[in-house]
Amino acid sequence: MTAATAAPVRQRTPRATGAVPLNATRLLWIELRRNAMPWILPLIAALFWFDSYRPSTGTVPLYALRTYWNMGQGHTIVDFGPFVAGVAAWMGSRDGRRGLADLVTATARPRWAARLATWAATAIWAVAAYLVFVGVMFAWYAHQGVGGSPPWWWVAVGATAVTAFSAAGFAIGAYWPSRFAAPVAAFGGFLAMAMSSQTGFNYASGWALILPTNSNGTFDQADSGIFYPWPPDLPIARIMFLAGIAAAALGLTGLPARAGGPWLRRAAAIVTLTGVASVAIGVGLADTARLSAHGMVIPALHDAANDARITYTPACGRAAGVPVCLNPAYRRWLPDVNAALAPVLAEVAGLPGTPVRATQVAAAYSSSAGGPQAITLGGQPPVLRLSLGSFDLPGPCGFCDRPVATKQFADQVRLGFAQAFVGAGNGSGSPAQQAVLAALLRGAGIPFAAQPGLMAAKNGPGPPPAAATGPVYAAAQRLTTLPAAARHAWLAAHLAALRAGQLTLKELP
Amino acid sequence: MNVDITGLTRRFGRTQAVAGVSLEAGAGVFGLLGPNGAGKTSLLRMMATVLPPTSGRLRLLGRDPGSYGPRREIRRRLGYLPQNLGYYPGFTAAEFVEYFALLKEMPPGEVPRAVAAAIEHVGLGDKARAKLRTLSGGMLRRAGIAQAIVNEPELLLLDEPTAGLDPEQRVAFRALLRDLGQRATVIVSTHLVEDVGAACTEVALMDAGRIVFHGTPDELTARGEGTGAAGDAPLERGYSAVLAAARSSTAVA
Repeated sequence: MTAATAAPVRQRTPRATGAVPLNATRLLWIELRRNAMPWILPLIAALFWFDSYRPSTGTVPLYALRTYWNMGQGHTIVDFGPFVAGVAAWMGSRDGRRGLADLVTATARPRWAARLATWAATAIWAVAAYLVFVGVMFAWYAHQGVGGSPPWWWVAVGATAVTAFSAAGFAIGAYWPSRFAAPVAAFGGFLAMAMSSQTGFNYASGWALILPTNSNGTFDQADSGIFYPWPPDLPIARIMFLAGIAAAALGLTGLPARAGGPWLRRAAAIVTLTGVASVAIGVGLADTARLSAHGMVIPALHDAANDARITYTPACGRAAGVPVCLNPAYRRWLPDVNAALAPVLAEVAGLPGTPVRATQVAAAYSSSAGGPQAITLGGQPPVLRLSLGSFDLPGPCGFCDRPVATKQFADQVRLGFAQAFVGAGNGSGSPAQQAVLAALLRGAGIPFAAQPGLMAAKNGPGPPPAAATGPVYAAAQRLTTLPAAARHAWLAAHLAALRAGQLTLKELP
Repeated sequence: MNVDITGLTRRFGRTQAVAGVSLEAGAGVFGLLGPNGAGKTSLLRMMATVLPPTSGRLRLLGRDPGSYGPRREIRRRLGYLPQNLGYYPGFTAAEFVEYFALLKEMPPGEVPRAVAAAIEHVGLGDKARAKLRTLSGGMLRRAGIAQAIVNEPELLLLDEPTAGLDPEQRVAFRALLRDLGQRATVIVSTHLVEDVGAACTEVALMDAGRIVFHGTPDELTARGEGTGAAGDAPLERGYSAVLAAARSSTAVA
């Protein structure tokens, strides 16, 4: 059957299309104004405060420790990721869900390009919110006088993770335009973060370092951002990994026949493959990461410039007449350090090898149990080197059962000093060294009965401390009962042999 | 011809929605009538380039929509109102129309004026800033019509455009159709034969995927005279008579 009308066809001038970028900008503006993401931001803000900010306030006011939970263990990402994925899926499924698929398909702008505008608006809201929330948190830290410098590279990782969640969620919504796409994507995001956390806790090296919730070797107990810059190696690998996920997910949305023309679909395929390659390279790089003194280093990405020390003007005081200088990030603990060192420095004043000054050094990451010695004594003239980053500092601890008391901190510093002074290193030393150490601590106000507990606390979990009895404490008791001048004279005469481990208990007075 | 269709067929599995339809249309308002399931919507979707034909030849605005480049050119010059129009509840009426103007890749400088004109054409001027979720069904339909005409299309495809419009709006819409038909090919799929009588210069009646009548509304009216076919209006009686004749001849065959 044929039907026809004979009216002439009107000829029109082809439309101008050179201003497509302007159109795209206007399209993005409309998408930004009418995006669903702002509606979920108050909920994310509440969760962010509860889960990322609030727990961090109970930690030591140093960026490396304040951000251990929210950046190192990725709780800022956990707070954002599932919601962002859900809202992005909601936006990605919008045309199908709203019955507009035919209408938008019948327009000239390639479907993929139009979808990218919707996704970009969603991602811009999410990433901007992430940066604002983190920025406010860091500003508040600065207001609280938190020491050190913020881990900006890890903020970049978080922003990229939010982008990846938005892209993955959007792809789910685009491929499955159902009202259930959003909750499924959100739950998937939550599951991904839960698995990332579980795996991250179990692997301190290897491919699992790529996971955005794995804090091993990148935060905790060290002076990242205080003495040395935050090493960017692992963040760069994670950014490659997460950006790859985002690219692959967005590329996938451009593959269906409806998405656009052959060139555009080829471009989408290339974007997808590039994303997959970026993911693979990121994982491969993370697998080569090794723990250095300053954090995780990836040889292929490492820049020696990041090993350069951060220059600073120290904050100084005096303990028993000995100058004590700390990094200004630790300024608030200078009185505590002085008070901790004063009794032990007074005990050894005038002896050979007594430090002429005390200075703070950077804490170092270590893969061995116990880590490096927190206090060392050496050089000519002798200098006491304090690695305060290895101590639980007075105040809120965050990862301890209760806040650290000033006396608890002082006792640990005195123990560390005495160990360094008698040459016992990080261990218990020879019996003679143990006896002198016990006598020094006793002289500094730590009774014998408390010393086994102090040693046990320093060594970490283990069997309960033994009683302060036996030949070591008997010798220590003899030493403390000597007149101060006699004890001092004996130490002056035997200190070198004691440090060399050449004295026996019987040789003690 | 703006629309040049030869032997167009579309199957959905074992169901043949459109069965070898041939059609040519230039400028003017072309009415597509038919009962539910006749294949009108499938035919319109193929003309809107969103549904590829199973077989047959389809040329729109002198181009082959089977190739991407020409298809994109057609889409720049196309206006389409689907039967079940969805909408973005959070958009204002003006934003909704502007959004589609941008998707149709209109020159940016023309968009604000074109959006305002389209909104005015459908009588939504006072609701331009209202969110779509706050509009009535009829107003939403008018917003849908506005997005279809915003780019001054050379080919305008309207699937049940007057559904939900009140009588006053329907009269105004018919006037708009006649005006648009001066410059473009307007194909209107509808159940409402009075729309066809008032606005269309040509009409085709579809049944079971085929065109069973093509002519002017007057010719369709004439088919019903003296047949005793059901219907309150002359055009309805013509509609019923043509359908009855088509079905009886199919049954005999």
